Amino acid sequence: MALATQQPNGDDEPSTKPAHKRSIYEASTQYRHWRYSPEQLAQTRASLNAAAVSAIRITIEAESPGSSSNVTFLNADEERLLVKLYVSKITQLCGHFRFPEDVEATAASYLKRFYLKNTVMDWHPKNVMLTALFLATKTCNHPISLDEYTSHIPNTSPSDVLDLEFLIAQSLGFEFAVWHPHRALWGLWLDVQSLEDFPKEGITEIYDTALSHIRASRLTDAELIFAPSQIALACLALSSPTLAAAWARSKSSENVLPILESIQEMITRDGSPPNVEAVRDVDRRLKLCKNPEKVVGSKAYLAKKDQEEKAAAEKRARKAEEVRKTMEESDPFGEALTGKHGDEAVDVAGLDDDD
Amino acid sequence: MDTVEKANLERQRKWAKVKKVGEGAYAVVYQGREVATGRKVAIKKIKVGQFKDGLDMSAVREVKYLRELHHQNVIELLDVFSSKTNLNLVLEWLEADLEKIIKDRSLVFLPSDIKSWAVMTFRGLEFCHRNFVLHRDLKPNNLLIAADGQLKIADFGLARDFADPGYKMTCQVITLWYRPPELLFGSRHYSSAVDIWSVGCIFAELMLRTPYLPGESDIDQLKTIFRALGTPTEDDWPGHTKLPDYMPVGQFPKMPLRDLFTAATADCLNLLSKCLIYEPRKRVSARDALHHPYFFALPNPTHPSKLPKISTQASSHPHEDTDGNVEMDELGPGVRALPPNKLKRKLSSADEGRRPLARRLDFSQSSLGSP
Repeated sequence: MALATQQPNGDDEPSTKPAHKRSIYEASTQYRHWRYSPEQLAQTRASLNAAAVSAIRITIEAESPGSSSNVTFLNADEERLLVKLYVSKITQLCGHFRFPEDVEATAASYLKRFYLKNTVMDWHPKNVMLTALFLATKTCNHPISLDEYTSHIPNTSPSDVLDLEFLIAQSLGFEFAVWHPHRALWGLWLDVQSLEDFPKEGITEIYDTALSHIRASRLTDAELIFAPSQIALACLALSSPTLAAAWARSKSSENVLPILESIQEMITRDGSPPNVEAVRDVDRRLKLCKNPEKVVGSKAYLAKKDQEEKAAAEKRARKAEEVRKTMEESDPFGEALTGKHGDEAVDVAGLDDDD
Repeated sequence: MDTVEKANLERQRKWAKVKKVGEGAYAVVYQGREVATGRKVAIKKIKVGQFKDGLDMSAVREVKYLRELHHQNVIELLDVFSSKTNLNLVLEWLEADLEKIIKDRSLVFLPSDIKSWAVMTFRGLEFCHRNFVLHRDLKPNNLLIAADGQLKIADFGLARDFADPGYKMTCQVITLWYRPPELLFGSRHYSSAVDIWSVGCIFAELMLRTPYLPGESDIDQLKTIFRALGTPTEDDWPGHTKLPDYMPVGQFPKMPLRDLFTAATADCLNLLSKCLIYEPRKRVSARDALHHPYFFALPNPTHPSKLPKISTQASSHPHEDTDGNVEMDELGPGVRALPPNKLKRKLSSADEGRRPLARRLDFSQSSLGSP
């Protein structure tokens, strides 16, 4: 495995290497679309936050002019804090449902990826988390019925979950496959057992500790910056530095070791659930600065719905007009021999109707 | 409008539906085109609104795997977008499927044609298995044929990742006639070998021009298999009588494959028999199949562009396909017979004449050298 070469970079495309030389991981959508440098990550979040703030400010102003100056909007770090809290809630829910680790890890990745395309001021992470987890049960081949799912979650109806499913799938770019560090750790674990200096005692503890670091890493940005194999090795190194180094030696990949330090640092620094008091304050302020267009029943919400309905009605009218025109223009006796333009136009107009 | 919605709308506008070409239980298929280029595509519209549990599993599976798998012999998912409550998959346009070609009695298959379809199937499948994906529904009408003759594995609605050892999977997969005996016996732990059995059945069907093992029920399927290949003994397949749904369905003697496949070469039958080994662990892998002597022996596989095509498309040139093959055969010696001075005098035309042969050699190299 080309551990050492998997340094984060911003390449969207998997370089110019010929297809047969590319590793399977490098061909994945995760490698191609969901890897950032720490700077890119900060930049993405900052510009997303700025765009959201200015859009919501305009909406609020439209509702009652001058009122937006009293609102303190969330900044990117505060948004991130709130998302982090709900990543930690996934673990609780998965424990309750006894979902496999893949489902839990995938839901966490979905939630984090979602907020690289959206802002918590539009979509509250509580709802997004519930839908992301439901979607993850399906993409990880562990489906349960929606009724059963929501019956175990207080104050949640099936439509709360379904309403966001499309939005989340879209935000993920319909890229459902996620490569997880806990899988890589399992691979490492199988590998290290055949090393000569594999310890005879305390081995269960080494693995369990490494796995707990993997779980902590889900609360961090590690998976958006580093390869799953790098994160796994870093977690093994946190648990047993000698074993991790021995493994790297056995693969002639010692040059990966310096990369591990920044991952270890990140997990140690960011790998615990956020302070509930701090998050409560953010959530309280979110109530005041969330996008009114997304609040069902609000003036802005109704205005937007109205606007959408008008646009849809116009589109329908336009289509009906097109159909009528083609019907009128095409002579039922004259055109059959020369071409089928008339039929096709009717067809095309009809096709989009149920979209 | 939200950024995400905007991006979706932009995607949607890249594609236009032209006409409906098929309708299934949960999806409508349209012929469409890429607006910018006019390129022909297929748009599979999945009606999601009707599902109580949202996006359904087959759509999720298809999108999940096709988003990741990019290979010449796997159908290309070009784009995904949603429209209201529908999910739209934009797929490359493929003219025909192998079932239609097999059933077209006006077509004659040469041994090199069968070898070509077989190698493309194995290449696509090897790629899936290398990516830890089980297809679980291989059959001739899921092997689609592009306009250039390339075969593409399609329909990943039943696909899944390899399970970890000890993790149970459902045995209710794969269309009956292509389903391996371990699934018929209710095995909940299985491997990529299930897909290989299906390929074996398809391989046989290409030679017979009719389904090889057409059973009518689960039990009849087992009988049909055993009638063709002999009832397995404990030696053939250790432990199979302990499988969950095992039941004795009668003793049938082993018949040599040669009795049925009279025209096949020894290499060909050897590969076929390795796809149809009862013991799943001994069944050939897609990777090993690609290294089988059958693919190195003459005749070379037909170049995809020269393969038989369904005759409705070739109606204006009824003998186009045979012409293609004949032309190849003539060009081969023809190029070799060219005297050197002629090559010098008419370099450009000689080059043109050589191109089909060069392509043919390329094809066999790329299919065998780097599976």
